[in-house]
Amino acid sequence: MRDTTSKKKFNLNPTGDPWSPWLHIDIALVLSSIALAVTGAFMVYSATRGNNPELYDRSYLNRQFLFVGVGTAAMIGSAYVPYRRLRDWVPMVFWAGMVLLFLVLTPLGVERNGTRAWFEFGSFQLQPSELCKIAYIFMMANYLERFNGRLDIRQLGNALLLGVVPIGLILMETDVGTALVFIAITMGMLLVAGAQAKHILILTVVGIFLAVVVWSSGLLQDYQQDRLTSFIDPESSQTEAAYQQTQAQIAIGSGGLTGQGFGQGQQTRGEFVPEQHTDFIFSVIGEEFGFVGSLVILGLFGIVMWRCMRTARKSPDLLGTLISCGVMTLFAFQMFQSVGMTLGIMPITGIPIPFVSYGGSSAISCFIGIGLVLNVHMRRYQVVR
Amino acid sequence: MAPASKYLHQSHRLRLAILAAVAISLFVPLIARLWYLQVIKETAFIERATDNTTETIIETAPRGRILDAEGRVLVDNRPSIVVTIDKEEMATVGEDALDDLFFDLATEISRSGSLTKVVEIEDGYRSNRYGPFAQVPVVQDISKELQIYLAEYSYRFPGVNTTVTTVRDYPYGSLAAHILGYVGLLSEDEIASVSSKKKTYLANDEIGKTGIELFYEDALRGTPGTKVVTVDKFNNILEINEEVPAKAGSDVQLTINIDLQALAEQELERGLNLARQQPTKFEEEGVVIFNAPAGAMVVLDPRNGSILAMASYPSFDPELFVSGISQDDFDELTDPGNYLPLLNRTIQGQYPPGSTFKPFTAYAALDTGLIGSRGILGIDSMFYDEGKFSIPNCEGGTCEFQNAGEAAYGDVDLRLALTYSSDVYFYNLAASFDILPGFDLESVQVAARSFGYGVRTGVTIANEGSGRIPTPASRREAYRENPDAFLTGQWLTGDTLNTSIGQGDVLATPLQIANAYSALVNGGTLFAPNLGKMVLNPITGDTEVEFSPRILREIYLPETFSDPILEGLAGVTTWRSDIGTEGTAYNAFKDFPHEDWPVSGKTGTSEKQVEGQLIADYGLFVGWGPNPDPEYVAVVVLEEAGFGGQVAAPVVRRFFERIARNIVPRYLNQDELDELAKQELEQSRLNLGNENTEEEEVQETS
Repeated sequence: MRDTTSKKKFNLNPTGDPWSPWLHIDIALVLSSIALAVTGAFMVYSATRGNNPELYDRSYLNRQFLFVGVGTAAMIGSAYVPYRRLRDWVPMVFWAGMVLLFLVLTPLGVERNGTRAWFEFGSFQLQPSELCKIAYIFMMANYLERFNGRLDIRQLGNALLLGVVPIGLILMETDVGTALVFIAITMGMLLVAGAQAKHILILTVVGIFLAVVVWSSGLLQDYQQDRLTSFIDPESSQTEAAYQQTQAQIAIGSGGLTGQGFGQGQQTRGEFVPEQHTDFIFSVIGEEFGFVGSLVILGLFGIVMWRCMRTARKSPDLLGTLISCGVMTLFAFQMFQSVGMTLGIMPITGIPIPFVSYGGSSAISCFIGIGLVLNVHMRRYQVVR
Repeated sequence: MAPASKYLHQSHRLRLAILAAVAISLFVPLIARLWYLQVIKETAFIERATDNTTETIIETAPRGRILDAEGRVLVDNRPSIVVTIDKEEMATVGEDALDDLFFDLATEISRSGSLTKVVEIEDGYRSNRYGPFAQVPVVQDISKELQIYLAEYSYRFPGVNTTVTTVRDYPYGSLAAHILGYVGLLSEDEIASVSSKKKTYLANDEIGKTGIELFYEDALRGTPGTKVVTVDKFNNILEINEEVPAKAGSDVQLTINIDLQALAEQELERGLNLARQQPTKFEEEGVVIFNAPAGAMVVLDPRNGSILAMASYPSFDPELFVSGISQDDFDELTDPGNYLPLLNRTIQGQYPPGSTFKPFTAYAALDTGLIGSRGILGIDSMFYDEGKFSIPNCEGGTCEFQNAGEAAYGDVDLRLALTYSSDVYFYNLAASFDILPGFDLESVQVAARSFGYGVRTGVTIANEGSGRIPTPASRREAYRENPDAFLTGQWLTGDTLNTSIGQGDVLATPLQIANAYSALVNGGTLFAPNLGKMVLNPITGDTEVEFSPRILREIYLPETFSDPILEGLAGVTTWRSDIGTEGTAYNAFKDFPHEDWPVSGKTGTSEKQVEGQLIADYGLFVGWGPNPDPEYVAVVVLEEAGFGGQVAAPVVRRFFERIARNIVPRYLNQDELDELAKQELEQSRLNLGNENTEEEEVQETS
């Protein structure tokens, strides 16, 4: 599908070297995402090394670095093949992902903390819903691109039907948090793809209505409801979720302006915050690096999101714009939701902070997302058709 | 920003801008919240994190030991394994499963030998005297095997742990139990009162309840150590920030001598046993049985007021109180039907002193001049004792008084009146106080009080009784409070007569009697008796506090007063007249080594009035020696036992004879006894071979 004539016209590399797109790589995006991931790995270390200075546990650190390495490779890989050529493979990858999402519900999957979302291979776990996020973004972009920026009700409906498949399967895992991420991605992409304002409004109202119905239907377990409401007044509640949020806020608050220093957090060392190396890792950042350190992390996310938006604007086609917007929405929502729940302003939904939280599936899928955005950015001078 | 791609429509740009605006707006609440938590509320959260992660651990310190005068250990500490429950952890099994857990635990503990009821464990669990995170002790003193078992099967017993504490240990068993007292868990009242003390107390701490344990609580109690530690969520200690080590309590050394104490206890018990063997008396008023259920004996050093032995019968085993006494056992110890074994009769038993009181009446007569060159009688002048005494111009009440057993002693002077214990002689003195102008009718009371009767002696042990010296004023007071107990509120001459011979309403503790006689025989120095000798550093053994003799007062006691009294009392144990009349304890001290160890004494036989019941007289004896500078004053009181000269005097005689002949047996503690038994066993094994050869020899000779 490569169009060599347009390449000649716009390529700034007159030799026609196939590596030429790599001259236009977005260094800021690469560096900021790797910075986030490396900081995250050290935070994971702080949260998991234990308390015996002679026997500090480095296993989590090592594994996280392995994930970051694999993720970086995946980023390069997903930037390598031009995204327009990848389009042919997307449906296959997407539906394979859906099959995995289905299989994880069978006894092949493993249940943890009430959520059935993992496959287990020896000491490694695979969370298909993480990888499906990227496949879903690409699949949705691929579908929405063809309407050239204006969706009528039927096309919108089709897009929603496409979304219902992964969202439904993930809800069956009882992984509300990840389902919300998919919903956010869908909304962001529909907005950019040209959904009409009234349709978006109706969708929002219907969504709220459905949420209320689900809430009052008793489909949710008590502990799930607790998790979703405990942030309102965690001090007065006795649930595990309330405890987790209270302890996380104590950790963050006691970090103060500049933090207690790497490896010095009292709450972190005492392991008072459950899941402090995964979903609640921001409590470690807040405690050990304080307000300043937290702002730096948020700033890195700001750079990542800015570069994604920039790529969306510069993309030579709607496909690239939609991919970039989808990835940006993914990061924005996950960051907000996850940091917000640690800070006690959002319900507990159990999703990791992109790049920072411990976990291979999440790290790799984030880097693939970055890779796709880079892919678009690199080829922004290549004219479509 | 770089120009946007050319394909983008205006509406696309707007939509991208909206998305970007939404994304940017997400940062606002996050940063605001971070600012609130980390900058505005920083201090509060640092405090909470510190609360979370630091914990103060209080480490109990062992209690000081109690030693005898020679430094032998009367009360020691030993480790005890305690089953504790973690209420928080235990609550996780759920209310329904709790009953089974309690039952299983009680079964397992009982099977190991420490009988335990389910309710005891449940009470510990439900008790709210401990905080929610405290380890509540439920069963004490379990075996090592059970400790291992519970650790091995910990999954069956969630929240059940074991710890090691120190508890009291009594190497000499129940010896001196009343003196030592016992410790127990803080009561609700005590929790309130100990808060002002210098040394910290925790809810499950023990405190001295009676005896020396109570009196010297402040010295004996250890100073708990504190450790401020950083902990993790699971209360694992990460590091120690601050540590003040626990300091063991000080040792308290007593004036008590174990050997004398043991001897006193044995002789007291033997005296009661012998008294019980007296045949039942059939009198006009009814049958008198010598129950001899209880008694007391106290031995003082009259030179300094140190208590050398203090025995009270019946006694108790302080071991029962270690790890908490069961309600059944406690009820038994406090049952009047068992004669209140917990009562320390030497300081809490209040007895009519009977004739042992007469020397103080004699002193009153000498001191006031009633006897003397200008009084009604000279010291040496004879008074005819016809066996009974009629009050002149009697105005009511009993008007005629008799000697015990209606004996008539004939001509007696002051000395013989004491030697024979002539009531009539003293009735005459009392009547004179009452009737003669110029004499105070309370002269006897004044004299008795100067010797310490009627007020606490100030002995260094808790719960001392004060005794009672009746006066007209106190009679009126008593009558007003309880009119049924007396015929009249009026003080009659008969009351003065009764008082003069230590009857009527006169009450004294055995210790008061011993202390008064100490002053009488040491030249007039009244001490506050000491039980504590010194407080010692538990590690170095250095003296921290020494308790010197405490002189209450010097009584005016010239030799012209004391000589005739003491001479008369010397006759009690030695005098036998040509006509066969003898000192009241002459028989008891027959063949006593008087030449080497001159001993004096005074008998007493007092009537105790018990409503609607005829009970045997209380037998008393006070003895001291070796004269002329006595080192020992011993008082024995045997309840419902008969004549003091017959039942009580022999107790003192046997006690003194051992001292006089220097054959006080060494009292061994359990370890020493075990060692001795082992040696004997070895000896007998060695002898076994010899015996065989001996047998052969015998056969040969036969």
